[in-house]
Amino acid sequence: MKMKDSVAIITGGGNGIGESVAKYLVQNGAKVAIVDMAQKNIDRVVGEIKAMGGEVIGVQANVTSEADTAKFIKATLDAFGKLNIVVACAGIIRDATMLSIDKDTGKVTRKMGLDKWQPVIDINLTGTFLTLRDGAEAMVNGGWEGLLVPISSVNKAGQIGQLNYSSTKVADALMPKIIVGEFQMRGIHNIRCVGIAPGYTATPMLTGMNQEILKGLLHDVQIGRLVQPEEVAALIGHCIENGAIDATTIEITGGLCYDHGIAK
Amino acid sequence: MTTFFYNDAEYIVEPSGYNIRRVMPDGSTSFIGANLFPTLTASEAEAKAQALVKSIQPVGIKVVGPDISRPNMIGDLKIIGPDITRPNFIYWDKDSTSFSKTS
Repeated sequence: MKMKDSVAIITGGGNGIGESVAKYLVQNGAKVAIVDMAQKNIDRVVGEIKAMGGEVIGVQANVTSEADTAKFIKATLDAFGKLNIVVACAGIIRDATMLSIDKDTGKVTRKMGLDKWQPVIDINLTGTFLTLRDGAEAMVNGGWEGLLVPISSVNKAGQIGQLNYSSTKVADALMPKIIVGEFQMRGIHNIRCVGIAPGYTATPMLTGMNQEILKGLLHDVQIGRLVQPEEVAALIGHCIENGAIDATTIEITGGLCYDHGIAK
Repeated sequence: MTTFFYNDAEYIVEPSGYNIRRVMPDGSTSFIGANLFPTLTASEAEAKAQALVKSIQPVGIKVVGPDISRPNMIGDLKIIGPDITRPNFIYWDKDSTSFSKTS
């Protein structure tokens, strides 16, 4: 599938990886819908894409809402008349260990609350499901060739402190297998699904963190630096144009390793 | 440049490239879209712009969604998340322009 003249929806398109994907697709001739919770971010990214000469709409929406999902799908079809690419970038972290133990007593002092669990499940998992489901519905009903892209994470492998986040990202990574299997079963052959699992990426989430901790993280990355959002965008661009990539989740980590050099 | 009012908000349609902006209460503008409908005539583009605004800013719907500030309690258990007994749609007095009124 060619990027030129294709139409894409990018959730979480107001910053980070989503913003880079949107701009990369526009640079390659696609039209894009930026979906984000923050109107301020939408205005900035839409303004920058406008300056690039790209065709773009901005939709403020909550990906956990079926009503909002219907809204941004409809708005995209109203603006551009079709849909070919859906990249579900919207995601959050709310890190905590499941239990905290008092060193002196050995007893539990705190446990991960639903205030940290549920929003992560809602946005990273339910939000991705709704976005891909309704995007696929539009593609099937419109008869358009398409690619669905859930965004997973290398922490699908299981990251301490991220029981909530890792649980969603391993589920997101599995989605292409199930979705494509169901497409095959239903005779849908023109829509693919490929997940992307980035490692430590230079998004505001990471670049804004404690620089000493960041330095420690980079110690485990073979290339010695963060993955750039533009590199993730370029990988998605390749997946769009290479029609043989399907039903899989691709890692892009810069060679992230566990201690002692075993690649994660 | 033309303007139109919809649901008590003003929208600006800039013919050059058909940028669409919403005028916010403080007078600033917020993007609806940019560089749209390059191949359409002015009247066609304006009609499309108005339809697009109605899709993106539907009247009559407020989306509530999961509400962590208002958990359901079962004994001491806080249940936070989608609650099918508290629907995501709150209908105001007017019908939505984008979604049929079902309840």
